[in-house]
Amino acid sequence: MTRPDHNHHGVETAMPQPKNRARLIRTLCLAPLAAGAALAGAGPMAPGGSRAVAETAPQALPAPPANGVMGFVVESFPPPVIFDKAACPDGPVLRLRDAYLTTLPPAEAARLRLDRRWQAYAFGPNGSNVCTNPDMFDRPVQHTVRSPNAWGLNLSQGLDDTCPHEQFTTPTGEKGIDNQEYRAMGCTLEWRGVDGVSNDQATGMRQFHVSGEWTQVILLRGVDSLQNDPDVEVVYANTPDRPVLDTQGKWLRGASFTVSDTFPRERNVLHGRIVDGVLTTDPADIKLVATWGQSAQRDLRGPRSKFDYRHARLRLAFQPDGSLKGMLGGYRPVADVIISGMLGGAGTALVAGHDCASEMKTLETLADGLKNPKTGKCEGISGAQQINAIPAFVTDLPAPRTAAR
Amino acid sequence: MSLKMKTFALGMAAVPLAGLAYVAAGAIHADAAAVTAPPAPTLAAPLDNVVGLRRLTESQYRNTIADIFGPDVVVSGRFEPIVRPEHGLIAAGAREASLSPAGLEQYDAMARNIAGQVFGEAHRGQFVRCTPADPKQADAACASAVLTPIGRYLFRRPLTTEEQAFYVKLAGDTVGNTGSFYKSLELALAAMLTSPKFLYVIETAEPDPARPGQMRLDNYSRASRLALLLWDSAPNEALLTAAAQGRLTDQAQLQTTAAAMVRSERFEQGVRAFFSDMLLFEKFGELSKDPIVYPYFNTEVFNTLPEQMLRTITDHLVTRGGDYRQLFTTNRTFMTRALGPVYQVQVKHSYGWEPYEFAPGDDRAGLLGQAGFLALYSHSGRSSPTLRGRAIRELLMCQPVPNPPGNVNFTAVQDTTNKAMPTARIRLDAHSTDAVCSGCHKITDPIGLSLERFDGIGAFRTTENGAAIDTDGAIGAARFQGAEGLGRTLAADPQTTQCVTTRAIEYATGRNEAADSLVEGIEKGFAADKYTIRSLFLRVATAPEAYQVPGKPLDDAVKHVTMAAIRQGRP
Repeated sequence: MTRPDHNHHGVETAMPQPKNRARLIRTLCLAPLAAGAALAGAGPMAPGGSRAVAETAPQALPAPPANGVMGFVVESFPPPVIFDKAACPDGPVLRLRDAYLTTLPPAEAARLRLDRRWQAYAFGPNGSNVCTNPDMFDRPVQHTVRSPNAWGLNLSQGLDDTCPHEQFTTPTGEKGIDNQEYRAMGCTLEWRGVDGVSNDQATGMRQFHVSGEWTQVILLRGVDSLQNDPDVEVVYANTPDRPVLDTQGKWLRGASFTVSDTFPRERNVLHGRIVDGVLTTDPADIKLVATWGQSAQRDLRGPRSKFDYRHARLRLAFQPDGSLKGMLGGYRPVADVIISGMLGGAGTALVAGHDCASEMKTLETLADGLKNPKTGKCEGISGAQQINAIPAFVTDLPAPRTAAR
Repeated sequence: MSLKMKTFALGMAAVPLAGLAYVAAGAIHADAAAVTAPPAPTLAAPLDNVVGLRRLTESQYRNTIADIFGPDVVVSGRFEPIVRPEHGLIAAGAREASLSPAGLEQYDAMARNIAGQVFGEAHRGQFVRCTPADPKQADAACASAVLTPIGRYLFRRPLTTEEQAFYVKLAGDTVGNTGSFYKSLELALAAMLTSPKFLYVIETAEPDPARPGQMRLDNYSRASRLALLLWDSAPNEALLTAAAQGRLTDQAQLQTTAAAMVRSERFEQGVRAFFSDMLLFEKFGELSKDPIVYPYFNTEVFNTLPEQMLRTITDHLVTRGGDYRQLFTTNRTFMTRALGPVYQVQVKHSYGWEPYEFAPGDDRAGLLGQAGFLALYSHSGRSSPTLRGRAIRELLMCQPVPNPPGNVNFTAVQDTTNKAMPTARIRLDAHSTDAVCSGCHKITDPIGLSLERFDGIGAFRTTENGAAIDTDGAIGAARFQGAEGLGRTLAADPQTTQCVTTRAIEYATGRNEAADSLVEGIEKGFAADKYTIRSLFLRVATAPEAYQVPGKPLDDAVKHVTMAAIRQGRP
């Protein structure tokens, strides 16, 4: 376990901070060069070929509103992936069929390559299957990220319920990053894509958000300065209101949203501080639930994905254009990472080709947090989600839903 | 057959016509009239002296059907538009509006659909209070009991005995084909709904005792005038009763009746209709914006723009009883979630309309700072100071602006990407160097340029193509800045109140002209009453001059001319 960096407020961070002024200046000077190199396919880069994950260092930030209240709606929430060829030297995680074939002698594997016998590999006794009952199957650990680089936050500092693990370093040189979820899942096709440079997770999450199935809002209160403010209240919550998009699917700023009263536990009230244009919340539990479905009540498929983070924090940098860029990081129960696949049951295995048992084995193996004091075993895994949020008007609870006729 | 006419009369008045019960005001004791009015009065002879026809507008048709049969009776169909006279009101166009065969087909389809709902199983209990001896056979007494009062509401006067007999016979004759008493009622009602006596407001006159040799509108025409002017609907039981009793030609009783009507909640509906006509709201049907240029403009925004303007108008003028002039300076309006992004304001309620008040001094002040007006008088991809200035001159100041000549070169104003001319002011300056154009632009552009901080959908901006926007404006010698300054200037201009007075008179009479003396007299009272809209409409509704009939009536009563008669050479 490598030691994390700390800034002068004792907050671990993957962001260039003032105390690292020399590195900051060097980073800024090299930014165009790095971006160019990334576009050429060499070196670490953020999704989309931009420095989206490494928040832009604060420049000329506007003054906050006089009432100190600022609202934002989250327009993207993917897991941060570094598209580096060194990340997955063993190749992407195998699909269930290919995983099955690797269990066979080469000649037999070649003979059965076009056969459907692999489907039996998804099932076990008493009608069990690898996704509904992953703990009933003994499958090998899947291919994991081998690169030393990842985006994320330093989460483990000061915690006594973590397990030893290797920490990452960000592409910007920040050490001590805890993101074992990325290590476990970062070589899956869903995270990295067939070509290793696309991010289906980001695409899917974006679709979730633009369709209005799942929308998150951030409400800041008591903001006196976007540059430095030691005391900011942060409400991070779901909203049932759909985003406003233009005809090209681009999010429009200045729309109004109301915090959801359907999932009161997912209204996270946090305390944060702004240092040099970066808002960081104190470690706390952060719960978010992603509902799936387009009906008015968002109940077509119900809450399917959970982001139930412990020891979690937001770290968001104010941008000169008024937006926020940053990260949510924390520890979540290992099963939550693949819960939607588990709910999909045999279909997840047969249609999507997931070996959930192998995924679970990998997650359990790499679990680094939420140590069970009775068993001494870590049951949670560190992870991060990238956040881009644009200005919006957010109405907190209690709020009436319907106005006059 | 058992007739329950008293119950029926109450049902007609109190249930489906509940909205018309302005009797609560107690002005004309219509509550008693609704119960005790003769259930099915008829006229012995048709009303003579037809002096005018006005086709019902779409909103008048819809409101009438809702008031008579209930709001759950759906009116679905397309209405043949009434052509607006140049620089005039649709209310004046209605006086000259004919009906094409295709338009009549639409009315016929709507009529059958409405009649089917009225006498369908779900609703017939409200309207058929008698029981036919055999539901598969004709029953003249029951049909008469049903159709006669409905006809009175639809034709806005009692049916003549001849008309009553005609519709009862029509129902009776069709039972053979339909095999159903109720279906026959449907056909008879559909016939009423396609009758010109329903589709057109037929104004009839009587000798004016105050002006020997001259005519004035009679009682039933006055009832229609009052109802359409003040409530945008047909006369209710109370008004028809007042007409039957000859109370509407008595100035004092006319005053009492109209005063109660402008105090009614339903007056808002009349005000909405008036301003929709005055401000050319039919143009919203043609509104379109380039979604690439204006990403914030979408269907939801489009659908809410006219309603926002109407809510602002009615809230200020009707609910608050505000000064008409302050309509151009008020900070109050209403918002929906859809409109919030356009205005960049917080809308707290997820659904519905909520009041919103701009900060004092905000450039959004007044009706002219609303996205509806600003978007309507813009092009699809750019704002237009000229269109906005012209609209203000024509609609709010009643000063017609000529159309541009056909050979104008618009290149300079249309090229919004020309970096040498980044703002509309610069482009219009270049365009107006042409002497042919400058004459009109001088009277429109100085007004419209003050609104240039609002783009083609009414979203706020401070620059155009990177250049700061100058909102210096002028109306005549008055100079001002921005929409807020424009609003204050317009509010102070006597043309503004004179214009709305003129329009209200034209709207009431359906004539594209108003005598100067009448305008002057009403405006004087309007001013004395601090320019409240109730005062204006009450004065218009009760001005004896507005009921005077210009010219002579037709020599003969209108006759039904058949094709057979024409072929035989009979007149």
